[in-house]
Amino acid sequence: MTNARTGRWIGSAGVLAALVALWWAASNAGWVSRVFLPTPEATAASLAEGLRGDLLGYTLATVGRMLEGWLLASVFGVMLGAAIGVSPSVRAWVQPTLEFIRPLPASALLPLAISIFGLNPGMVLFVVAFGAMWPVLLATVHGFAAVEPRLSEVARCLQLPRAAFVWKIGLPNALPDILAGMRLSMTISLIVAVVGEMIASQSGLGQAILLAARSFRASELFAGIALLGLIGFASNALLAVAEKKLLRWQGT
Amino acid sequence: MNAREIEAAAVLSIDRVSIRYDGREVLSPTSFEVARGEFVCIVGPSGCGKTTLLRAASGLVVPSGGEVRRHGQPMAGPSREVAFVFQDYGRALLPWRTVEGNVSLALEAAGVPAGLRAPRIAEALDKVGLGRHARKFPMQLSGGMQQRAQIARCLAQKPELMMMDEPFGALDALTRQGLQDELARLVREDGLTVLFVTHDLEEAIYLGDRVIALQADPGPGRPSMARMIEVPIPRPRDQLTTKEHPEFLRLRRELFAFIAHGHD
Amino acid sequence: MTRWLRPLVFPLALLALFEWYARRAAALGSDALAPPSAAARAFVGAALDGSLWQATAFTLGTAALGLLTGAVLGIGGGIVLGLSRRAADLGLLSIEVLRPVPSVALIPLAMLMFRFGVRMELAIVAFATFWPMLVLVQAAVRQVDPRLLEVSRVLGLSKRDRAWKIVLPAIVPRLFVALRLGVAVALVVAVTVEIAANPNGMGYAMMIAQQSFDPALMLAWLGWIGVVGYAINAAMQRLQQHVARRMGVRP
Repeated sequence: MTNARTGRWIGSAGVLAALVALWWAASNAGWVSRVFLPTPEATAASLAEGLRGDLLGYTLATVGRMLEGWLLASVFGVMLGAAIGVSPSVRAWVQPTLEFIRPLPASALLPLAISIFGLNPGMVLFVVAFGAMWPVLLATVHGFAAVEPRLSEVARCLQLPRAAFVWKIGLPNALPDILAGMRLSMTISLIVAVVGEMIASQSGLGQAILLAARSFRASELFAGIALLGLIGFASNALLAVAEKKLLRWQGT
Repeated sequence: MNAREIEAAAVLSIDRVSIRYDGREVLSPTSFEVARGEFVCIVGPSGCGKTTLLRAASGLVVPSGGEVRRHGQPMAGPSREVAFVFQDYGRALLPWRTVEGNVSLALEAAGVPAGLRAPRIAEALDKVGLGRHARKFPMQLSGGMQQRAQIARCLAQKPELMMMDEPFGALDALTRQGLQDELARLVREDGLTVLFVTHDLEEAIYLGDRVIALQADPGPGRPSMARMIEVPIPRPRDQLTTKEHPEFLRLRRELFAFIAHGHD
Repeated sequence: MTRWLRPLVFPLALLALFEWYARRAAALGSDALAPPSAAARAFVGAALDGSLWQATAFTLGTAALGLLTGAVLGIGGGIVLGLSRRAADLGLLSIEVLRPVPSVALIPLAMLMFRFGVRMELAIVAFATFWPMLVLVQAAVRQVDPRLLEVSRVLGLSKRDRAWKIVLPAIVPRLFVALRLGVAVALVVAVTVEIAANPNGMGYAMMIAQQSFDPALMLAWLGWIGVVGYAINAAMQRLQQHVARRMGVRP
């Protein structure tokens, strides 16, 4: 790393350290009540202790729910999106309905799902998958709809069969959009998983932090929040790396 | 028609083809034939319908009137025997595939089994001089190289006819000249029949055996095709001496005058 | 005439299918679903007794206040980070650490601090909208044509004038794109908070309806939430496109 870059990292880390120091001072000196703001040490201790205990299990449960839902959402979203996207006539009939569903909060489906399926893990997974499907579906439809017209003509000249066109031209063309949709979808999966755990009392980080707050155990609450932040960060970072690899052809 | 008649019939017959768009007649009834191995250039001012004519000749567009025939059979749509080279090469290549991958597409479409593709791809790339750049992505290539990649893809189709829509229009003069000579050599080697649209009169005379000049808005009842001239200059041609050849200069003067004055 | 009818055909067909299915299910004894016709009646009932407007006003009002807070802070921060390379570099790690925290994770904390009501929901909406506004405005400022900044130097504009007269107008189109996103986020987060915890607003009304085994009212709320979200997003889209045209940018 050049000097300038290391300098930047050090500066940035310095600011972060300063914020942590501020946190330490505020909580230890009691400027903010320790009921809401636990000390950094207490949080770290809760985190360490929790990971040796239940917290690890809760984290895995939430991550598992998030990933399972996201995978289902992606597979169905791409399949349905491709089916709708390749056909301009289907798109014309269905697109307005899709635009209505787009702004709907995924969590809003939870009461309906509870009504139908009851309070159980399957219900939460269903809402996670169903809610997270729409960004991928919409992105896929858009990706397929926006095929460069010149490429369609090339396909006609080469007499590329329909299925081959979808697989070799439609899908790669839609890939940047699909990947962006999948990233958004991951964010939604995490959110719905957490909310679902909170209201359906399912074992996981969502329920854990809710209970911690109700019992005024602030350090456990903060530990849980930190873990959720970490999950959000890691999942996004991994997807970003995958996206870069898959879209190598877009150039530097 | 029996086999011998089909053989004898022209490779391409444009029979009173006319095209209308939004109620406007973009191309008035035009007729000509192209024999095997001929290099026919089409020139004309913008709006004369030369690109539209090319697209109709390749089956991409259905004529509003008249018929396009190949070996005596009416043309129903695009065919693998008729390759099309687009002017906007950047948009005609798959950006996510390498040069190799793009050429491969033609073979995949034709159902060539995977094992047999590599030699044919290599052959096509060598013909256009892109052998060393096979693994590059279009984004990494210059304009001239991208156009060569597109031509390689068309060659891989092993077509009978090659339609070219102002293929060198977007390139700088030096690249254009190089590609013109390469194209002439390729066409001669493979015995291709070419229909070549350009707005560059010199290019048309330099490359063609025949030049067809179209006029824009000829008026009701008048044909779009205003001139068809033979180019009796011997091959192989070269950028320096051919352009000083008296025939070349004569034809150039004739075409320039015709285009400048609009109508016949 | 048929042009505006066409978008409605598919959803109406779905609703008709749902109506038939829900009626059959009800006849077989299920109380999980209600036909759209019953939902419509429940909707009218809620509209007439005022509960619809009260809950809607709470959600929209709280979302708006939260967005205002998050947007003001986010835009301000975004401009600073966009203009000053140093500030952006210094803030990078802190932002990357705090940003990925999902806003719903802060619900229990907000409950602890503010109990239930407007402030709790507002705080979470503000957190959720702050980050996209910060990031998008920072990018917008960075993308201001460097030529315009050179012009401001050559004219000798003060830092304040440069911000007000050059940077701010230049980022207005992108700003409205960011606001459009911010509005969408604010609404979704507000409803989500109400579903998860806060006993106020549209989300809560929908939860209560489900818990009271009133599927018709629950579906009415679900539909209404959808309609409100759609209408507000559509209005924001119009606004954003109008602004883009006024500022000479292609929408």
